[in-house]
Amino acid sequence: MTGTLLVQQGGHCVVTDLGRVRGPRYGLPVNGALDQYSARAANILVGNKDNEPLLEITALDVRLRSTTDILISVTGASLTLTVGGRECPQWEPVSVAAGETISIRTMTGGLRAYLAIHGSVETPSLLGSCAPDTVVGFGHRLMEGDSLTTRRSVRPIRQPYFDLPLFRLGLTRPGISTHPVIDVTDGPDIEEFGETAQKLFTGTYTVGDRSNHIGLRLRGDLPERQLTSEVLSRGVPVGAVEVPSRDELLVLHRGRGVTAGYPVMAVVTSLSLDALAQARPGHLVTFRHTTVAEASANYRSAMRELDKLRTRVGTVFGLLGLESDTSESETRQLAGSQSARGKEHPSPDPSMNSTRNIDVKHNNAS
Amino acid sequence: MTTTTVEVHEAGDAALRIVAATGDRERDWQTVHALAGWLDSSGMEGIHGAVPTYDSLLVEFDAHLTSARQVRAIVLMAMRQIDFVGATSRAPQQFEVPVAYGGEFGPDLERVADHEGLDVEEIIRLHTAKSYVIRCLGAPAGSPMMDGPDFPLPVPRLKDPRISVPAGAVSVAGRQAVIAPASAPGGWCVIGQTPLTLLDASREPLVPYLPGDVLRFRRISAEDFTRYDGQPLEVSL
Repeated sequence: MTGTLLVQQGGHCVVTDLGRVRGPRYGLPVNGALDQYSARAANILVGNKDNEPLLEITALDVRLRSTTDILISVTGASLTLTVGGRECPQWEPVSVAAGETISIRTMTGGLRAYLAIHGSVETPSLLGSCAPDTVVGFGHRLMEGDSLTTRRSVRPIRQPYFDLPLFRLGLTRPGISTHPVIDVTDGPDIEEFGETAQKLFTGTYTVGDRSNHIGLRLRGDLPERQLTSEVLSRGVPVGAVEVPSRDELLVLHRGRGVTAGYPVMAVVTSLSLDALAQARPGHLVTFRHTTVAEASANYRSAMRELDKLRTRVGTVFGLLGLESDTSESETRQLAGSQSARGKEHPSPDPSMNSTRNIDVKHNNAS
Repeated sequence: MTTTTVEVHEAGDAALRIVAATGDRERDWQTVHALAGWLDSSGMEGIHGAVPTYDSLLVEFDAHLTSARQVRAIVLMAMRQIDFVGATSRAPQQFEVPVAYGGEFGPDLERVADHEGLDVEEIIRLHTAKSYVIRCLGAPAGSPMMDGPDFPLPVPRLKDPRISVPAGAVSVAGRQAVIAPASAPGGWCVIGQTPLTLLDASREPLVPYLPGDVLRFRRISAEDFTRYDGQPLEVSL
């Protein structure tokens, strides 16, 4: 059964996914959730495929009211989450009854949170992704009075006696620090900076005010390019560390222009890009040198954590009679495949599953 | 059969930069575009796609599903196939782009003329004199990137990039030329503007041209600009 999410307070909130991976070949940035780990986790926690549309909430308070019973999860930056006035945990599935308001307030210790909804929401897509693209003018930013169509309804799942949290899925949450250590590998053009490239690892940098989804601007002791020759435009990776001016270091994030003519001194690892997505202006950043082999090993280890979570969610949701998309290979391929999103499966009728619900409650309470 | 040399550089844990080093610019360009086409159509698991430009190619991948080492091996295998079969070539489409030069349409036209030591009319003549091969699609939003007009000197970028350059801006920098499909910040010298719309977010691809297509500029007046305003850029017959 579809429902509606009414936007009572929009804050700075967009509908997004893991990004437009087919964009770069056409000159469009990949965009999508800046903290990919938190976005994947949010979707997995409600039994969705990793790449389903979800909400990315930046900094400001958001309030949404659901017209139907739904199941949500909120990950990313620490904040106060209440549903119908009850304080609820982040990084766990949370039931929302019809008519209740989801309130996200006082985000601290990070900049971006992710709200996923079991069954996801209806949203237009461009090149297989709903991620906003500010240059092309595509995407849905929530404004007060807007509504979103939710695709599935889930009867409230509650612990019957003490209203204890029903789920304890036990995902390792990434620590969000006000002084993150950011891992970088050598960029393809590091030699153009000579000895000054080492400055990146000796100084501390401050996140500047003009930082956004395109890139973070950092103040500090800057390496200097030793050459003056022109660089032909070429594809730059997300995470590229460049020195475009005498004032700032630029670290490109997922909204980066696909081509540019600046030398790439270093590249931030995939996991550290998630950490940078949570850095606020004024936060300090220290860089640490790593290798591609080590960075890939760490990334795979983080993805294995999510694989384990997906398995646990599959088990729990199976017992509850809820649908979940636990096939990881299918999930992963979706993010990179040529074809658009998979077909929607019909929702099971939640009222059919009351007996199994009680079993799980019993197990959980014991 | 000859073997084309490519250099493979690490570019983080989720990308590689491939640079063609044949010693011939035209062949370098053909090589990286043939390689991009091969990778895009291969459907290799974990490879998101490839961004080819002039002499280089950025290959982006999912570091969980594949690895830099595997992608490197795939690229080298692809190169052997491309060398064996040869790059497939497609008949280029032709485009004609009307441009209003100077004034409000091209605020940097006189600056470029001064720098080149030519008068404004000569700059416009040179800009409309040749056919341009679209070398690649770049930022922002599928800009057609081309080798520049036959000016005597490379054109320096603006010292203070503009916060916003309008859609349709026709610009030059270094030895390159470009048209902006969407409004974006820019540091290139804007010498004119086309009234045609290049970008249509409701179709795929979003722009009507592909690398390898050929484009010419035609001078129009300010009155003509209003007449064409908002019409889509289409293949000329």
